[in-house]
Amino acid sequence: MQHVVATVSGGNLVSLRWVSSETTDTTMPSEMMTTTANPMAASAAVAETTGPNPISPEMKELQWGAGSFIVLFILMRLVLFPRLKKGMDARYAGIRSDHEDADAAKSGARADVVAYESALNDVRAQAATRIDAARQTLDTERQSQLAQVNARIAARRAEADDRASAVKAAGRGQISDAVAAIATRAGEIASGRTPDAAVVKQAVVSAMESAGAR
Amino acid sequence: MFAFEFPPINEILRWQDIFPGFNKIALIAVAATVISVSLFLIAARQDYREAPTGTRNLAEISVEFIEENIIMQTMGRDGLGWTPFLLSLFLFIYLCNVPGIIPILQMPATARMAIPIFLAIVVWFVYNVTGIKHQGFFGYFKSVLFPPGVPKALYVLVTPIEFISTIVVRPFSLAVRLFANMLAGHLLLVIFALLSEALFEARDKVLIPLGVLPFGMLIFLTGFEVLVGFLQAFIFTILTAVYIAGAAHPEH
Repeated sequence: MQHVVATVSGGNLVSLRWVSSETTDTTMPSEMMTTTANPMAASAAVAETTGPNPISPEMKELQWGAGSFIVLFILMRLVLFPRLKKGMDARYAGIRSDHEDADAAKSGARADVVAYESALNDVRAQAATRIDAARQTLDTERQSQLAQVNARIAARRAEADDRASAVKAAGRGQISDAVAAIATRAGEIASGRTPDAAVVKQAVVSAMESAGAR
Repeated sequence: MFAFEFPPINEILRWQDIFPGFNKIALIAVAATVISVSLFLIAARQDYREAPTGTRNLAEISVEFIEENIIMQTMGRDGLGWTPFLLSLFLFIYLCNVPGIIPILQMPATARMAIPIFLAIVVWFVYNVTGIKHQGFFGYFKSVLFPPGVPKALYVLVTPIEFISTIVVRPFSLAVRLFANMLAGHLLLVIFALLSEALFEARDKVLIPLGVLPFGMLIFLTGFEVLVGFLQAFIFTILTAVYIAGAAHPEH
């Protein structure tokens, strides 16, 4: 089958050539080929291959482009943007309100902390006063108790000293009596005569006192 | 040995109709609208009381981006009423730019003149009507053509310049900036893709490894086009905001 291939540049027909379908140049776009072999078809091929001027707008593109943009703008103006913006505004208002609530809660919490710290300081001061008073009371009580205990101890100590002195004196008397008896007996054995008991006693006591003084 | 033939520009930009009167550019434009509408519809269905995630997060980020980085910077709080228009403009342009790097589509709809010129005409209409509405017909044209503070003798020069720049050139500069940047990016991607293919398929085996160079450049430019697509949408939108702000409040 024969084809006519038209080459056009800048709106002008540059060349026309016949090719068979077996030798079709596959690098040529399909729209640049026509499948007829008569001059009328060749002119149709020229019209077909005269592409759009790269500068001038094509009517179908203008119509579809304009229609698409106008539809988009109308929908955006009347439906799409207001719905989205309404949601955005509502959320931003909610966020602002939450921020304000949070600020108010923070201020309230700060006031509560200040009040708590003030109350805590009062309680601490009261506690310190009470502790001081209790400490003083305790101190006085302790001093008093100590004085009583010391007095009791002193009395008992004096009593014990007295008892010890008495026991000591009794012991010393017994010792002096025993020593005097021994000394009298020793004098009797030595001299054959019984010495005066009072004199012996006096001598023994005197000797014991001088020994205790040393 | 090595044959590299760059196709005519019309062949690169020519798209067969998917059905009569509806080609790939139209498909991208419709898809941009469908994606934008779907994004906002899905976002609006999610619970607004919870922290936004996923689709809602994306929609809210885009709204806040327009409000904080475009409107508040150019028009102030009074301009927030323009958010739906500027948001539509930004999303539509961005979603028309992005297909330039999406496999199979691989064509930014804004690399054809139809959409940029239509949007520029809309913007031209909007800022002129805004100026007339705020200042009155004569007040607006007086502020445009006879800027205050200029010596009267200079009006002979300034008035024609202002008329041409504000009334005539602005829509063309808007349209051509967007169109030319996207077309240039598209052509660069085509050039490096074709060069890579030609080198990888060269008959001379020595040339095959060299295909890595244009292929690397192709990857780099693809990433770059992501930025360009966003930047061009941003520039178009912020200039629109500046023009509207200037028309509404010439003293600023």
